[in-house]
Amino acid sequence: MLKDITLGQYFPGNSLIHRLDPRTKILCIILYITVIFCVKNFWGYGVLAAFTAICIISSKIPFGYVIKGVKPILIFVIFTALFNLFLTNGRVLWSWGFLKITYEGVRLAAFMVLRLFFLVLGTSLLTLTTSPIALTDGIEKLLSPFKKIGVPAHELAMMMTIALRFVPTLLEETEKIIKAQTARGADFESGNIINRAKAMIPILIPLFVSAFRRADDLAVAMECRCYRGGENRTRLKELKMTTADIWGWLFVTVLAVLVFTSNILL
Amino acid sequence: MIKLSDVNYTYMSGGPFEKAAVKDINLELKTGQFVGIIGHTGSGKSTLIQLMAGLLKPDSGKISIDGQTLYGKATNMRKLRFQIGFVMQYPEYQLFEETVFQDIAFGPKNMGLSEEEIKRRVHFAAKLVGLDDEILGKSPFELSGGQKRRAAIAGVVAMEPKLLILDEPTAGLDPGGRDEILCKIRDMHRRLGITVVLVSHSMEDIASLADKIVVMNHGEIAMKGTPDEIFKNAARLKEMGLAVPQIAEVCMKLREAGLPIPEGIYTVSAAKAELEKILKAKEKR
Repeated sequence: MLKDITLGQYFPGNSLIHRLDPRTKILCIILYITVIFCVKNFWGYGVLAAFTAICIISSKIPFGYVIKGVKPILIFVIFTALFNLFLTNGRVLWSWGFLKITYEGVRLAAFMVLRLFFLVLGTSLLTLTTSPIALTDGIEKLLSPFKKIGVPAHELAMMMTIALRFVPTLLEETEKIIKAQTARGADFESGNIINRAKAMIPILIPLFVSAFRRADDLAVAMECRCYRGGENRTRLKELKMTTADIWGWLFVTVLAVLVFTSNILL
Repeated sequence: MIKLSDVNYTYMSGGPFEKAAVKDINLELKTGQFVGIIGHTGSGKSTLIQLMAGLLKPDSGKISIDGQTLYGKATNMRKLRFQIGFVMQYPEYQLFEETVFQDIAFGPKNMGLSEEEIKRRVHFAAKLVGLDDEILGKSPFELSGGQKRRAAIAGVVAMEPKLLILDEPTAGLDPGGRDEILCKIRDMHRRLGITVVLVSHSMEDIASLADKIVVMNHGEIAMKGTPDEIFKNAARLKEMGLAVPQIAEVCMKLREAGLPIPEGIYTVSAAKAELEKILKAKEKR
């Protein structure tokens, strides 16, 4: 059930990818995503697949575990594929009534599925190999130049840290409440969509109540320890770039160059 | 009768956080028994009772309640759950309705009972846990901690289950609230003749309530038996990070000091009786 969600979950380890500076990983992922949306032919996807595979292997995370991250968005992927398959105009391959499949539709659907697939794979690799704290540290550092124009970098990072910190807690809480209401005979599986939505009320209300209570407690605890924002705050661990980061940069740049040249040449 | 045979359950199987929660559990509970489950934090108590309540599906092994197998092919799990009352830890977090009455009625309503019957059960359950009629009209979020807890327990009791499972029902309550809840649970057990399974960290509570004790350690059943049999093994309990009731400890020390207190005293009332006997004998001399 809920515990099967790997998207956004950290997989502890000490591989090369784990040790990269979070800033490197975040910027590389942004480049990676840009590349995903720029690929124009299947050669590009071949390169992308090879690159992703190398990253996953060197992260030493079981392949199946990474793939599991795709599961939650599977329905979304299928819908996207179907929409593209049936609603694209072009050379008709097959038609039945108002339904028709075109050559362009097949191509577009395949592209869309591959894009979403790599998107989730890449981003879940980022969250699997980077602890939430490192991730927000990285974001804070990357955003700090924008402080001058009024971007509250520290506050944003703090909010993210807190939000991430409470994801597992709230998931656990949800599961507990679901169990309690199941034991009281609540039925989440049968009935039409309205009944099912109504069946969520016994879960959502207790969940909101406890989320507000937790937020309150946390605010008090932070104030008790004299938290007052980012000004003049020092850190225990300063982020540092190493040679590994340079190799990471080179690797992603090579990927980008390969894909863009394949776009031009093929 | 509840029967567990060779039950295993693992959390997060296949992942990096894989952890066997319970291993090779064999257990038989008779109808009408009051069973206490003890064990240190993380010993698998909570998992065990969730398995019994049919909230977790065992990875292997069989659990049956009055002959019906949990998650069996011919079993309607939803119907079977109506016979099992499960009070989770901090049950007040399950409250959600506009009024206490509606919240207690949630379970019976799900069972598809008539309005009349629901009303009867709500009032019955509220009375059993000691909630006044005027509270039934209030919002559950206005109540005090102890009242919330009792309202939540009433919501489970109103389903009139044959088996009532409680996971540390007194955690976080003040001594007054604690005694009251335990007293109500004892009442329910006596008056309704149901099987009760109680998880608790308090050896005192278990000693005074249970007629069978199951000791969990590292996901396995380390000991099971009557309170006499369990609390005799003070050394073994200590090894597992548990303790005997304080009064049993006191009796042991007194025995070591030479007082003629028999073994197997683990409740305050029994100890009091024994000490009075000794004092009277002394007076006579």
